[in-house]
Amino acid sequence: MMSRRDARLAFGRRTFLSLTGISTAAFLTGMGVPAHAAPVSGRVPSNPFGLGVASGDPTPNSVVLWTRLAPEPLAEDGHGGMPPDDHTVEYEVARDERFRDVVTTGRAVASAELAHAVHPLVTGLEPGREYFYRFRAGGEISPTGRTRTAPARDAAPDSLAFALASCQAWYHGHYTAYRDMAERDLDLVLFLGDYIYEYGITGANLRRGGTGNLSAAHAASVVTLEQYRLRYALTKSDPHLQAAHAHAPWLMTPDDHEVENNYADDVSPLGTRSEDFLRRRAVAYRALYENLPLSPEALPEGPDMRLYRRLRFGGLAEFNVLDTRQHRDDVPADGGTPGGDHTDPERSILGERQERWLYEGLRDSRATWNVLAQQVVMASVDRDPGEGTEYSMDIWDGFTANRERLFDTLVSHEVANPLVLTGDIHRHAAAELKADFDDPDSATIGTELVTTSVSSGGDGSDRDRLADLWLANPHVKLYNARRGYVGVTMTPSEVTSEFRVLDQIEADDTGTVSVAARFVTESGRPGLNRESGGRQ
Amino acid sequence: MSQPRPVTGLNAEGRLGAIDLTWDLPGWEPLVDHFAIHASDSADVPTTPDTLVGTTVYGRFSHDTLGPEAVTRYYRLVTVDAAGARSEPSATAKARTVASMAATGRTLAQVGEFDSKSLELALAPFDGPNRFRAAFPDGVDFVHGTSDPATDWCYLHPGPADGWGGRTPHTFRLRFSLDSAPRGEVGVVLWLIDTHMTVPGVAEIAVNSDLAGVVEFARGATRGSLEGDATVLGTALRPSFEEITLSGDRFTEGENVVAITKAEGSWHAYDAVGVFDIG
Repeated sequence: MMSRRDARLAFGRRTFLSLTGISTAAFLTGMGVPAHAAPVSGRVPSNPFGLGVASGDPTPNSVVLWTRLAPEPLAEDGHGGMPPDDHTVEYEVARDERFRDVVTTGRAVASAELAHAVHPLVTGLEPGREYFYRFRAGGEISPTGRTRTAPARDAAPDSLAFALASCQAWYHGHYTAYRDMAERDLDLVLFLGDYIYEYGITGANLRRGGTGNLSAAHAASVVTLEQYRLRYALTKSDPHLQAAHAHAPWLMTPDDHEVENNYADDVSPLGTRSEDFLRRRAVAYRALYENLPLSPEALPEGPDMRLYRRLRFGGLAEFNVLDTRQHRDDVPADGGTPGGDHTDPERSILGERQERWLYEGLRDSRATWNVLAQQVVMASVDRDPGEGTEYSMDIWDGFTANRERLFDTLVSHEVANPLVLTGDIHRHAAAELKADFDDPDSATIGTELVTTSVSSGGDGSDRDRLADLWLANPHVKLYNARRGYVGVTMTPSEVTSEFRVLDQIEADDTGTVSVAARFVTESGRPGLNRESGGRQ
Repeated sequence: MSQPRPVTGLNAEGRLGAIDLTWDLPGWEPLVDHFAIHASDSADVPTTPDTLVGTTVYGRFSHDTLGPEAVTRYYRLVTVDAAGARSEPSATAKARTVASMAATGRTLAQVGEFDSKSLELALAPFDGPNRFRAAFPDGVDFVHGTSDPATDWCYLHPGPADGWGGRTPHTFRLRFSLDSAPRGEVGVVLWLIDTHMTVPGVAEIAVNSDLAGVVEFARGATRGSLEGDATVLGTALRPSFEEITLSGDRFTEGENVVAITKAEGSWHAYDAVGVFDIG
């Protein structure tokens, strides 16, 4: 049900919407309208919920619900087998799994402009509470999803359980990590980038066993909207991913592969002209919005999408969800030469506005844990084990001045317990964030947990050719190159991080889960205390 | 459902092996899903699936699988929006490619077919990085008329930037015999299905051990190491075409050797290689 504030929000976006190509009616109805609104007629094909259901961006009184009608998910025009007409999708939210205690219902209109996706923003919910939801379209009822609102702003939660995931190239293996994740009691799933990959799927990269023959459309490099939609549909056809979405609300931020490998703002590493590349970014962002439980604030405007945002979980934690791709400066040409361009004070990985927003939020936060959910590794990692230095310019090492400004903010405002959550590298890693990365004795001012990929890179191994390079950095406390995810339990006194790995993911989805390492980070004492496992 | 407007400003320009199209990008509303590019060898360009040669969201497209002969193509575009609505076809544009020396000359030696594919060459389409050093420890040494492209000419030519190639220059040699020395000029033709996107590099061309030319490759898409058919709809491969003209007196009666050494940069992926008497 739309609150007065939400109605104002939607109304205020009409000018904005007129620039996006999405009609106001489609957008408003895609968000959700009161149940008494007139339904839109049109026959819905059978089995329309082939891509599952999801929820996301929980606040103390609201959550975004999501589904996308797709009776034929892999239809090559990207429209999922739906005719072009608008269709009514009804939703209901209940306190119980059998829907005997329904708290709200509503309707959303699924339109072809948004690939028949709906994102009803359900408000008026109670804080810190479990809910169940489902959709109805035509005579069909969707699977039931479970979600949970955030605790009240003034609450003091005892604990928060969440999982970190990233990098799920569908063609590299099975999403067995989500099979395990969906069996755990989680309040939240944080996805930290590379939900899809834009590469053509060919014999050279198809490692996922048991897939059968894919049509030629999947061999194309993903550039057009229909191709992005098709790639999302292929990715979301995985039953374990659907189960993880239905199991808990997600907080999602993309990295580069949702658009193009290693892009920076409007710069394409392929040399595509900016005016052309922004067209690709626009359709990529549209498809991203269509396929994830993102709030209406994230609806793209042309090639722009507001992705950075802040969610609070009572006094326990504040999650700053960052966007380190859309606003970053281009990769420096110096390749990491000491004192080179990558140290230019003008350079930013966040962009000026996001930096200012982040620092103001950190300064004002009263949360016990201040979380930065983001994409690329923040700790400095020298990849030359000898006398020289070698750094990746795609991560925060390519933006040292931005990192220094962030660390200065953390220190000068005595920001409590900075906790950085990262994806991107297809390895589990854990690192202590140092005031001076060249001085192991310098102060530790934060903790970074890096989750490995769900599938990208295939089976992997505990160690690989980069292990020694990473572990030569004394602030790096863990390196493991298997697939998996990180389970985190946060309490007022400590954060426990459990780095879970799989023995295989390429052959099938029966892989066995084990724990590669477990660390405890104590409140007031940044860093990593090893409980088990550790440097591999 | 409203209909998007057809694109305007469609322009076509021919070059060696390809025709480049450009057009005006429309506004953001409605969001364009893609432009469908249709091509025909006649002025009547039906906008049907069998004439579709590509889709893109960009304001340009290179139709770069047209082969070595000079050909004329006519083009029309259809705009498809995010809701799936299709525009009327655009106005028609036409252009003619420039013929390759491979089409105008007499073949003295050739490896592979000029067909926009590496598939007929050794280790194609994706085993180069894993197997090159074992299969070709001394580089490639190919004898025209005797050697087999499927086993004796690797589709992928590593450069000194490639760890899998040992970070050293590699030389591919093409040997062929002539009954008599050419009287006029000779064309050395390197058609590639792709090159590396950031370090496409430089090759030195030697004829009978004398440096005869240097080729600086165009930036590609870094996909030719993994896939080998540039005619697949939507492929990321970026074919490029390098042709150099040499004096015939560099060649002799009897055996000749054209040696291609990747002196700088990363790999390139072959479509075909040839030496042609162009008179």
